Amino acid sequence: MNLRPSTVRPGKMAMLGVSGVLLAVLWHLGLADGPLLARGARNIGIFAQDLVPPDASVLPTVAGAMVETVEIAFAGTMLGFVGALPLALAANDTVSGRTAAGAVRMFLALVRTIPALLWAIVFVVAVGLGAGAGVLGLAMYSMGYMGKMFADAFDDIDPEVVEAVRGVGVGRLQLARFAILPETANAVLAQTLFVFEYNVRASSILGFVGAGGIGFYLLGYVQSLQYDALMMAILVTFAAVVVIDQASMRIRRRFLSVASHTATRS
Amino acid sequence: MPGVARVAPGVAVSVRDLWFSYRDAAPILRGVTFDARAGEMTVILGESGGGKTTLLRILKGLVMPLRGEIEILSSPLKRGLMGRLDPRVAYIPQQLGLIRSQSVVTNVLTGALARTGTLRSLLGLMPVEHTEEAEAILHMLGIGEKAALPVQTLSGGERQRVAIARSLMQHPTVILADEFVSQLDIVTSREIMSLARDVADRGVALVMTTHELDLAREFADRVIVLRDGAVALDSPAREVDEAALVKAIRG
Repeated sequence: MNLRPSTVRPGKMAMLGVSGVLLAVLWHLGLADGPLLARGARNIGIFAQDLVPPDASVLPTVAGAMVETVEIAFAGTMLGFVGALPLALAANDTVSGRTAAGAVRMFLALVRTIPALLWAIVFVVAVGLGAGAGVLGLAMYSMGYMGKMFADAFDDIDPEVVEAVRGVGVGRLQLARFAILPETANAVLAQTLFVFEYNVRASSILGFVGAGGIGFYLLGYVQSLQYDALMMAILVTFAAVVVIDQASMRIRRRFLSVASHTATRS
Repeated sequence: MPGVARVAPGVAVSVRDLWFSYRDAAPILRGVTFDARAGEMTVILGESGGGKTTLLRILKGLVMPLRGEIEILSSPLKRGLMGRLDPRVAYIPQQLGLIRSQSVVTNVLTGALARTGTLRSLLGLMPVEHTEEAEAILHMLGIGEKAALPVQTLSGGERQRVAIARSLMQHPTVILADEFVSQLDIVTSREIMSLARDVADRGVALVMTTHELDLAREFADRVIVLRDGAVALDSPAREVDEAALVKAIRG
């Protein structure tokens, strides 16, 4: 590639401009305050001292809560999948026609606009405190998110495959079952695993709003200033997330080696 | 021969004054008129961009023409409930449109979906006679022993045979094949062309596009040249020499 000076200069200008905007925004947010930052640094130091050593006595409690967190993530992902797959098919122009497909896409976007935590609050109100609300909240958001990812994967199929199978004279459900789903099966599986990984992280804060899992303890330890217990909970969360990410990534790679590039798009 | 309903010789596809253009662009097809007969191989020649692929896609019902008439065995091209396309017309796109991760026999069985009940097929309960027919067709096409393999493990010529097998499962009156042997080496091309010749001989109207003038003159019954969206030549293959073909193609 030939980088001529004329193509570099606007880049530098843009970088200077963005830096200027950043400084202005920090000032506006009150972060360009020397004494404040100094106090913050001192507090972090004190906080860090209280974090160690981690309180081993809470290990059974937080480990149990982490298991519940992973369970919430798993159940939320699976229920979301069950909702997402038919909706994604309904969001496909060839399967349900342009008008209906557009409406379904709009619905998926709307569901996705509301973050999982907000959905969890809605379900805490609806079904009460506990993991049930967490599962339902995560399922709603996952449905919107996976619905969009699956719909994109369906749109990216080789059009000749769709036309060849349509040419046989099949109905729309048959087209979905015999062309669209088999062509995208690997991508759909890989994306579902990806969402499960994401949901393990998302579900560890669902407890903040009383929707089950380790988040309840994370928030509780912060509020009661038990920073050594908080450290234990963070370590357990970190370990679980790393293990699940690694395992899931390995499985995903095996699918992806035969799936299309769309699987990694998010 | 399994998969081929015997059809009385005569006109299988009749195309009259077909026009097509994308929105306000210049027309791609300008009043195309021709017949394709049962039991004959009709080869459509012409330079790229001359409207060959568009013509086949219109004949399959994938694209609606601006105006003009298409009849299959004297009845208009069917458009069924919810956009179901006419199963009497089989279509093999240029890249074949096979599902590569699926087995050969699964791909071939999709050819019978129009005559398998929707619920039954969605549950994966394919009639035994369909499976038997699919296996017989694969055997006839010389790839019977590949039935259980995924399509992605097959060679180009073998994939071509799978596509032919799928179209035969449709019990077609017409088979449309786009750039049928363009991806194959010359030896395999000749094998596939003579296989196609056999299929046509049993009563199917085979309409294919190609760039291979030699193969067209050797195997086809009829050659049609499309130039700038219009029929520039329509003649029995044996009555036209290469010079005349080139002249019709180039203009």
